[in-house]
Amino acid sequence: MPAVPFDYEAPRTLQEAVELLGAWGEEAKPLAGGQSLVPLLTLRLVRPRVVVDLAGLDELKGVVREDGMVRIGALVRHRSLERGEGPLRLCPVLQEAASLVGNVRVRTLGTLGGSLAHADPAAELPAAVRALDGEIVVRGREGERTVPASAFFTGVLATALRPGELVTAVRVPVLGERTGWAVEEFSRRAGDFAIVASVALVQLDPLGRIAGARVALAGVGPTPQRVESVEAALRGERAAVETVREVVAACPLEIDPESDIHASAAYRRHLARVLTVRALGRALLRAGRSHREEDP
Amino acid sequence: MRDVQVRLTLNGEERRIRAPAHRTLLQVLRDDLGMTDVKEGCGEGVCGTCTVLLDGEPVSSCLVLIGRIDGRDVVTLRGLAEGGRVHPLQVAFATHGAAQCGFCTPGMILTAYAFLRDHPRPTREEIRRAIAGNLCRCTGYTKIVDAIAAAGRDGGGIRDAG
Amino acid sequence: MPGEARSAPSGDGMRGRGGRSGRRSPVTVPARPLRVVGRPITRHDAWDKVQARTLYGADWHMPGMLHGAVLRSPYPAARIRHIDTSAARLLPGVAAVLTARDVPRNTLWTDVPGQTTAVGPLRARLHVLADEVVRYQGEPVALVAAETPELAQEALELIRVEYEPTPGVFDPEEALRPGAPPVHPEGNLLARWRIRCGDVEEGLREADVVVEQTYRCQVVDHAYLEPEAGVAWVDADGVLTIRVSTQVIEHYRDVAEVLGLPHNKVRVIGAYVGGGFGGKEDVTVEAFLGLLAWRTRRPVRMVWSRQESLLARPKRHPFVMRYRTGARRDGTLVAQQVELLADSGAYAYLSALVLMYAAVTAAGPYRVPHVEVTARVAYTNNPPTSAMRGFGAMQVVWGYESQIDQVARRLGLDPVEVRARNALHKGDALPVGQRLETHVAVSEALERAWAALGPRRAPSGPHRRVGRGVACNLQPYGRIVWLHDWASAWVGYEMDGTVVVRTGVPDVGGGQASSLCQIAAEVLGVDPERVSVHIADSALTPLAGTTTATRQLYMSGNAVLEAARQLRQQVLPVAAALLEASPAQVDLEGGDAVAPDGRRVALARVMQECARLGVPRSALGVYRAPAGDPVEFERGGGRVFPDYTFGAHAAEVEVDTETGAVSVLRYVACHDVGRAINPQSVEGQIQGGAVMGLGYALLEEVVLDRGTNLTTSLASYLIPTAEDVPDVEPVILESGDGQGPFGARGIGEPPIGPPAAAVANAIEDAVGVRITELPMTPERVARALGLLG
Repeated sequence: MPAVPFDYEAPRTLQEAVELLGAWGEEAKPLAGGQSLVPLLTLRLVRPRVVVDLAGLDELKGVVREDGMVRIGALVRHRSLERGEGPLRLCPVLQEAASLVGNVRVRTLGTLGGSLAHADPAAELPAAVRALDGEIVVRGREGERTVPASAFFTGVLATALRPGELVTAVRVPVLGERTGWAVEEFSRRAGDFAIVASVALVQLDPLGRIAGARVALAGVGPTPQRVESVEAALRGERAAVETVREVVAACPLEIDPESDIHASAAYRRHLARVLTVRALGRALLRAGRSHREEDP
Repeated sequence: MRDVQVRLTLNGEERRIRAPAHRTLLQVLRDDLGMTDVKEGCGEGVCGTCTVLLDGEPVSSCLVLIGRIDGRDVVTLRGLAEGGRVHPLQVAFATHGAAQCGFCTPGMILTAYAFLRDHPRPTREEIRRAIAGNLCRCTGYTKIVDAIAAAGRDGGGIRDAG
Repeated sequence: MPGEARSAPSGDGMRGRGGRSGRRSPVTVPARPLRVVGRPITRHDAWDKVQARTLYGADWHMPGMLHGAVLRSPYPAARIRHIDTSAARLLPGVAAVLTARDVPRNTLWTDVPGQTTAVGPLRARLHVLADEVVRYQGEPVALVAAETPELAQEALELIRVEYEPTPGVFDPEEALRPGAPPVHPEGNLLARWRIRCGDVEEGLREADVVVEQTYRCQVVDHAYLEPEAGVAWVDADGVLTIRVSTQVIEHYRDVAEVLGLPHNKVRVIGAYVGGGFGGKEDVTVEAFLGLLAWRTRRPVRMVWSRQESLLARPKRHPFVMRYRTGARRDGTLVAQQVELLADSGAYAYLSALVLMYAAVTAAGPYRVPHVEVTARVAYTNNPPTSAMRGFGAMQVVWGYESQIDQVARRLGLDPVEVRARNALHKGDALPVGQRLETHVAVSEALERAWAALGPRRAPSGPHRRVGRGVACNLQPYGRIVWLHDWASAWVGYEMDGTVVVRTGVPDVGGGQASSLCQIAAEVLGVDPERVSVHIADSALTPLAGTTTATRQLYMSGNAVLEAARQLRQQVLPVAAALLEASPAQVDLEGGDAVAPDGRRVALARVMQECARLGVPRSALGVYRAPAGDPVEFERGGGRVFPDYTFGAHAAEVEVDTETGAVSVLRYVACHDVGRAINPQSVEGQIQGGAVMGLGYALLEEVVLDRGTNLTTSLASYLIPTAEDVPDVEPVILESGDGQGPFGARGIGEPPIGPPAAAVANAIEDAVGVRITELPMTPERVARALGLLG
């Protein structure tokens, strides 16, 4: 259907964009990749007075290595993440997560910042950024601030963005030595939103035992959930799939999913365990490989 | 501003358009420019019938606001055929029975075109993944994969077009 | 005469063809081999479609065209207290706002054949626009036409409707209990059918094993890629013309009734359809377009959004099916007792017929001496259900093919053998009393499908199990014989020897038009490229009936064959005279008339001579299907359908035993199509139908919550993508023993029947659990495996 008519602004600088969004407040919507916003517009579900198109903001498109982190501009496309172009090759977790997002067209236009700002509980990239303990750089009229991933997602389709604020970049750590990762997603069809997804990272110590683990789940709550009980229980354990299986089976996953037309709460809880074991298993394999590569 | 003015290259030709900003590329192509070779199947970017190549990459034209198009290059199915000749992919689709009702066909061919350009000689699995975002309700996909595989095998000028 | 000699009707004449490139070995001793029919030529419309030259319903523009839109009820059950259209009418750029009172005759009637007033209304009412009551969410309440689509939407939002929600009923079982809110004043039972043969209680007592099970299958949507669309205008002669995406151009009569116009002042032109599957069989936009165009005297376009289509268009009937199947120790079936309950939703549409198809085929393609089928369909306040590919005969496959598999398992017998043992043969009678007069290919299809699976795959990893299953089916082709179906076609030579075919057939993508082209080319001795086909214009093409019920190749194929034969008979003597030969020895080939000694004269020359002699260069063919009277199902019944298509599918699946996910690794679909007029088209129908069936089996569901539709987006209504299904290997059998042209049988609907049961049988083979509810989602399988505690 045709959208309800709106004014269109195409700022050339970040400062301009921030001014516009600050001035219009709730009546303005920022447009990044458009894969989430435009359908809402053409279904006439969202009726802003102004759409502020961010496409011209080159400041938001760069990828730069900053010490032990990679700073990724909010407008970097899923397709670029998937292809691991340039410094993005240092972000294999985002690479794997991005490859699971939607279909080829969504990945051509969809952006990292857009995905995070949209904060769909079943989306892969928010869970990946959460698992990485990433930081979201945000800018408003009052200036720039950095929000840790643990505080950024506040509810279903809700974030810590204040009115008039934009996501400008995401910072994620470069993975350390002997670190493996995996993203395991379960969806009804390839390319659909996850019913449940599990993002796992494992780092081995020089002796090959698990030095640390991170697990973040999508689809089991209003926001991506870290599973600290599993993370804690794995520390110091043998790097074996059987161990992982036992640990996950014994852990009370501190999640409280809801039932909906796609899956019941019980099934989501079940999938959370299965996918976490699978993700940790693959992460261990990768960690083992990188372990072997580094210690000849 | 309520209206936008954009200059774009459409199937190799420069066009200037003035349109209300709330219109999508799909709506402008179909309603203002009469380009019936792009379809509307769902309005949500899911079905793939509105696929066009934007700067060479497949996008859902129903999800692109017209203001975004300034200075860009858009190719629809009609832009694939050069000088009125039919592109090898189009031949492959026709001769392999890959078009039944034909509604998914323009989007499917454009998607296949971009894919084969970047991945010559793909496996059937790779083809299926590449077209997973283009829904078809008539063929069951087997003959579409046959056609794309055949076009991939035979190469046939896909690398140089558009 | 080409193609007249046919293969022997029974088993020894049977040859098969497999795979994508199958070479066909002629099995017959024909007068001469077929040249065009039977070749997998590229369809003429395929060239248009790959270049996007085809103009679908929404691709038509006319000067001064208005945009139409529909206001729909948000409530599944409510009284309409008041409609205020004043603000909408005042909006500049709005040309018309219509409600029920603006519709000259606001009621369309559906005939409910074979029912008595004791069961339900003989004629079921459908309103064009809701009058005092709305009965389902999405029911049309008002129409607007405006200068732009934006204004049309704005106008819709300005219409104020005061609804008073009323209690609704959303389950057919509940609807049939005393005290349930009546959806229609006459009560909620719409139709009932009973079929009896033998004594089923006796049969069940005699049986060594009785399998009793209840099956449920869900509401699904056609989800064609092209949403409903059309344009209407009043032409220079005052004829209301509607160009629309439709399976039925005869709806011009319905529109005429609604508007109170003479039938000959309404014309429907059928555009090439972007998928129908039964969803464009009932009136969609036609009446609305007619009303708006007639009121404004301007062209009006209406295109429905996908969300609108998913919300409110009639869908497939869900069924609750209770089966009791009795068999002897050796696997012979002795009894089938079946109870069917379907949901008609808020309006009857074609529900009574869908129910009847289900009842007639409910026992499966098997010899069963004792059968009892009791079928009912009830009104609810759910979205209406109507025609969808398979039309009732498809849903019951889920029941009878799950049942026979379990019979086999219980008895420790091979599932393929048990089916073959019980399969019907030519000459047997169905429980409804109809004798099968053509070859029944069930056994061959089972063998071929099963064999084509090849070596069993190993599981792809830990926690994976592989299993195999088969299912066979019967699906009627051609409409019920009591409807006295007929189709007509006009075929003519131009002066230059090219050929024109005119027939009212709507083409929904299955190659309906191009098959006719091949038939005409075969008989008239020209290349298919020299045949031009004009279809689907109620004013200009002889009517051929609906593109539904797998009838079009059968009916209009025979009509074209009839016309072409007549025409051939007209011109042969003229050609023979030119060649100084006898007509019986002259052939038509490659655009020429050919004498036995090889001398040729161009058809153009023959046409000149025809013109000189006053011999007509065209013929009108009318094919009448075998007709009959309605039969009494409860008293021995008789013939219901002209014929049936038989087939069998085999599936190999892998089940993830940790998640319940089912992956189809390999799929083979085998059908006896009598004769494949265009083998490539036949393969395409088989593959497309099988994949639609796999969607039904594993993915698709219209989720309704007390009449509220929760799946009104293609993101939530899940149809298979290319990654969700494997290659479908089609295996074509050609018995030559069908009622269509050259012995063809229909193939549009049959392939959608077996997949659900084939997959369920494969799942049981893999992991030992029987799923009895569709779709077989991973969660359902996980539950059955006990994974969720």
